[in-house]
Parts: sequence; structure tokens; C-alpha cells
Amino acid sequence: MMESKEIYVLSAKQVSVQQPLSEDWMRDPVVYDVPFARAIDPSFKDYVSPIEARRMGKILKRALATSKEALKAAGLETVDTIITGTGYGCIENTEFFLDALSKDGEQLLKPTYFMQSTHNTISSLVAIQTRNHGYNVTYAHKGISFDSALQDVWLQFRLGKINSALVGGHDEMTETFYHILKKGGVMGKDDELCGEAAVSVVLSTENDNALCKLKSFKMLHQPSLTALKDEFADVDYVLTGISGDHENDKAYLNEARALFGDKPLLKYKHLFGESFTSSGLGFYVAAQCLHAGFVPPSLFVNPEEADDRKPKRILLYNRSDGKNCSLTMLEA
Amino acid sequence: MAPILITGMGVVSAIGVGQAETLDALLNNRSGVGPLAYLKTEHKEFPVGEVKLTDAEMRARLGIPETAITTRTALMGMLALEEALCDAHLTPGMLPQVGFISGTTVGGMDMSEQFYLDYISSEAHKEYIAVHDCGSCTEMTANRFGKFAFTTTLSTACSSAANAIILGANMIRCGEADIVVVGGSECITKFHLNGFNSLMILDTEPCRPFDATRRGLNLGEGAAYLVLESEESAKRRCVKPQAMLSGYGNACDAFHQTASSPDGEGAYRAMKEALEEAGIKPADVDYINAHGTGTTNNDASESQAMKRLFGDQVPPVSSTKPFTGHTTSASGSIEAVFCIMALQQGFLPVNLNWSQPMEDGIIPVSQPTKKALKHVLCNAFGFGGNDSSLLLSKPES
Repeated sequence: MMESKEIYVLSAKQVSVQQPLSEDWMRDPVVYDVPFARAIDPSFKDYVSPIEARRMGKILKRALATSKEALKAAGLETVDTIITGTGYGCIENTEFFLDALSKDGEQLLKPTYFMQSTHNTISSLVAIQTRNHGYNVTYAHKGISFDSALQDVWLQFRLGKINSALVGGHDEMTETFYHILKKGGVMGKDDELCGEAAVSVVLSTENDNALCKLKSFKMLHQPSLTALKDEFADVDYVLTGISGDHENDKAYLNEARALFGDKPLLKYKHLFGESFTSSGLGFYVAAQCLHAGFVPPSLFVNPEEADDRKPKRILLYNRSDGKNCSLTMLEA
Repeated sequence: MAPILITGMGVVSAIGVGQAETLDALLNNRSGVGPLAYLKTEHKEFPVGEVKLTDAEMRARLGIPETAITTRTALMGMLALEEALCDAHLTPGMLPQVGFISGTTVGGMDMSEQFYLDYISSEAHKEYIAVHDCGSCTEMTANRFGKFAFTTTLSTACSSAANAIILGANMIRCGEADIVVVGGSECITKFHLNGFNSLMILDTEPCRPFDATRRGLNLGEGAAYLVLESEESAKRRCVKPQAMLSGYGNACDAFHQTASSPDGEGAYRAMKEALEEAGIKPADVDYINAHGTGTTNNDASESQAMKRLFGDQVPPVSSTKPFTGHTTSASGSIEAVFCIMALQQGFLPVNLNWSQPMEDGIIPVSQPTKKALKHVLCNAFGFGGNDSSLLLSKPES
């Protein structure tokens, strides 16, 4: 029953606060000194018709762009399964509907915003547009939303149920919503840059010019990580979610040092921003570094540790709220 | 495939809090759908299946102080989870070896829709901002009982709980866990009551699934959790299985965001996969608990899917939505509990309010019927054409 085939990462595409659908950030990152930025959008005309685009929120357009680009780069028309992680779903349409409900009452509401307000609108849209009838689910669990999607794919590969998958991580953030989350103490603490995330990754058991391999994955709630120390010990770099949230960063540093000793620590959220699915951008960053054969100096937590080694294995270490945690090992 | 055992369950819906009240209502054809009494909305014209407790009454039952931050979805979830853990003899000390997977879509929307303008322009109620998202609901529910090994949240609209069950089963089959508690919770909110109303799919009369005169659904609310367990673990703990999850399937209709395809492609694929995985023939299915919302579109599409899979031999079918209303994200696990009760007690739940056959539709169970059941299918379909089907079976003795 349990399959031990290799799982290859065939492609990884992003739209974020860095240059869209591009790896320009590796040599020339966009630098922000603001607490919140919206994503830099590509032109959507190649991915969605103008008529459709008018009715679609940004999160949906970005999901179509990254999904279609990821499939194209993987050389696949379609995949066996589409799985998405999104912390807040289509929050812009949710806001429109809530706003109308709160200000205009309950008699004049139109269905458009409601129809595109649920979390699985994203995965469904990608399935409709790629005519995909396969297993299709969506996870919405805070900072491990993308990780939960990855876990499901990991299980499906191991059970031999699938040979290919499109995994997405999508969260949009409006100006209003950013201020609400900051007020609620959810995001935007200390020196954090809050952003938006749209990531699509194609995984397959067939290696066709893969970026890297997905070697192992583990997700835990309120864990004691020491038990996992050996399983994830053999890595070159640890890519953390250090974000500028002082309390969480301190815990990252303490735990990472205890677990991984003197392995150089990396970060990406200072470039890509924080959101509930920013760990998807972390996955993208690690995959691109392994593919490019170097780690850009801008990623090192301690700039003095920057080196030009060719990375063989990068461990993604995501801890969110001090409770949810995931460890993902990618290998060149 | 190794069987996945179900060793405990808990349920809350309009027909009762807990297994005993629920079974009694099902056996006596007592619907919980009625005039709106708890949700504060202008739309008094729609019958709903509300849980017959205020938030304050639920807090009191659970011993949660008035000042503690929580939401109605989490409160209902806690009531159902408490019963499921107790039923499966799981104590807090065992939870670090147990996973918890819940499905919800509205999350903390019951609070956000009351306080949204405050969130924007004042400091009032800002402590509820952090519990708006779906994951917070799951964690509030889980953390009341202890420290689970892992938690996550499915959000695929009305198939969320069914997909939580599928994930739990896959985790056990992969050896990632021996015991996973799975299901979903969802309260009625003004947000989705108005959303469904804007789509013109709510009936002002009690819903009539598969009836020629059906005009829409009634919203409901509730929560249910099942304890899934590997055979070895149940043997080791000396707990008796109440049922088995012997197959499951999920497929995407890939047709429309809020409507089902005329030929029920997604539903057909999901049911077919569930049977194939269990290694049984369509003729072996003794009963189908349909998604059967009472909308023109769903019941026509689901009828076609059943006819495609079962041909002239469609097994007895009923929708239990007239009992509870459509409990949206929780419907998959609530109706799975109903199916397990039907397996255990040997009866077919009645499709209440049905009188006239619809064109080209199935004829549902309309009279109380005793019947020994071995395999039953439980359907849950969501917006976005997210279709799931679970095959529940009597445990092998």
C-alpha cells in the first residue's frame, strides 16, 4: 500500500510583494520599509478573459495566473488533484458582502460577492478552468493552511492515490483588513511586513526537469520538536519564518539553535511579507534556491553566515502562534 | 484496504443535543425545523433548523464564563466533541496521541457580522477579530479538552466535514496516527442566510427534498465528530467499533461555483470511488443518505448521479435535511452519525415532507421502515462542485 516513490517539485510560481511570476528577487529584491504592502500584480489578460476578470476578486485572478504558469512550467495540461490552503479565503468579497450587510441591511444584497466568498472558491475555479474532476479540497487553518494542503498531498502520494498534484497557497489582504488584523493582534506586530501570497506548486512522481525533491514532511500542534531532531538533522540550511514579530522570532531562534545547532538560519518573510499562507512562499523560495544552486545573501538571518555553497537540502521550519508547526525537507 | 473503525461519536443539531435525543427524533419522525428563534435577522420568513440553545445556555452547559472569547460554531463543536471523546473512552491524557480535524466555513462569522463596523472604526469587540478565521474555531474547540497531536481545518463549504473524515482516514492508513477525531461544526449566520437568500435557494416552507414541489432549502446548524481508529489501536484499547468507514471518495464537478451539473458528474464520481475503494458492488449498498437539499438543482443532479451509478436498482434513498435543515459545513459528519444509527438500529430514516414524485427523480423513503443494513452511502456536496461520499458499514463481528 505505502509507496516510496520520489516526489519531485516540477514548478513553483508566485505573485507576492516581489516581482510577479519571476525569480528577480534572488538578485535584486524589492525592499520595503512599510508595515503593509499589496502584491505586485502581473497582467492577467493571458489567464482570464476581461469579462470574467471584472467579476473576479484579486485572489482568484492571482490563483489562475500562478496555477496556469505552474502547470505550463511543469509541462502538464492537468494533474490528479488540486489542493489549496488559504487562511481567510476570498476576504475582499467577504468584506464587500459584510459591508453591505452592515450598512444597507438585509433586503438589497446581491449574490455576486457571496458566490465568490467561500474558501474553496479558489480551488474550484482552478478545477473549472482546467476541467479537473480529481480530488479537490481546501484547508483554512491559520499559518499552517498551505502546510495542511502539502500534508494532504504528501499522504495521497504515499497511499499511491495520485501521481501529480497542484498545491496552492493563497491569501489576499486589503488595506481595511490589514488594519483590522493589526487591531486584533493577529498580524502586523513589531517590525513585521504584511503582504499577500499567491503560490502554486506542481508535484509529480515523474521527474521532468524538476526544481527539487520533496523528501519529508511533518506537521504538529503544540509539539515537542526534540523527538524529530534526528529525522531532520541532515540539512544545509534551515529556512525559518522569522518575520519581525519579536516574540515569535525569539522562539524561532531558540528552538532552531537547540534543534539544528550551528546550521545557518535563513528567512524570507522580510522580502515576501507575512500572511496566513506565506509558508507557501517559503516553499517556493527553498525550491528556487535548490534549483538555482545558491542561497541569496539577502536570506541569511546572520549576514556573516552568507556563503556560496551549493545547497543540497533545505529544511523549512514553520511555527505559527507558538502552537502549529511544520517541517518540510526539500532536496536538490 | 485496512478498515477504519469508528469507536465513538457526538452530535448536536436541531433535533437534539447528544446521541439519545437525536436517535429518538429520527425514529419518531420529529423535525427540528421551525420558525426562526435564535438568530437575529430581518428574514423571519424562512424556517430554520436551529440548535435549541442560546450561546449563553451552551456556555452554561460547558462551564465557560460569559467573559471568555468564543463563537457559536466553537460552542456547538465543544458539545459534540465532548460526547465523542467520552463515547470513545478518550481521556485528556491520551489526546497528545490523537489528531483533531474539523470542517467549517463560517468560522467566527457570527461575531464578525455583529461587530464588523466596530472592527473598522472603534476599539470595541476587537478581541473577537482573532477568532474570525476557521482555524481559530477548530483550536478553541480542541484546546478545551487538552493537547491534541495535530489539528487542521477543512473548508470546502457544505462538504467540509465529509472531507475532514476523508483526511483522518488517509492519515490512519498512512500510519501517521492511530486515532483521529474528525467532523465539523457550523452555526447559522446572517451572512450565509442572506447569501443563500440572494441566490434564491431558500424555501419559505419546510423543505421537501426530491419532491416535485420543492423550492429550496432550509438552513440548519450543528456539529458532529466521529472517532476514527485503526483496528490495532481499538484492539489494544479494548473498545468496540460502532461502525466502519469502508470507503470514501471526493471529486470536483468542475461545472459551476454554485450550481451542480445536470448529469451529476462530481457526485457520480465521488460515490463510485467510495464503492470501488471498499471493493463492493452497487447492489451491495442498502441505503443512501442523500445530500438532498431540496433545491431544484441539487435534487435533479443528485438523482441523475444515483441513476447513473445504480441503474434501475437505486437502493432506498432519503434526505434527512427536513429533520435538521441544511447544516452546511457540518452536514457530512452529522449525517454520517445518522447513517451509523441506521446501521446500528436497522432502520431507514424517513425523507419527511415528501409527497409528489419529481420528474426523472428518485422516489425517497417516505414511511418508517425497519431494515437490516450492512452498507450505507452518505453524500455531502458543497459549493464549487465539491462532492464527497462516504461508505459506512456494519462492523465485522
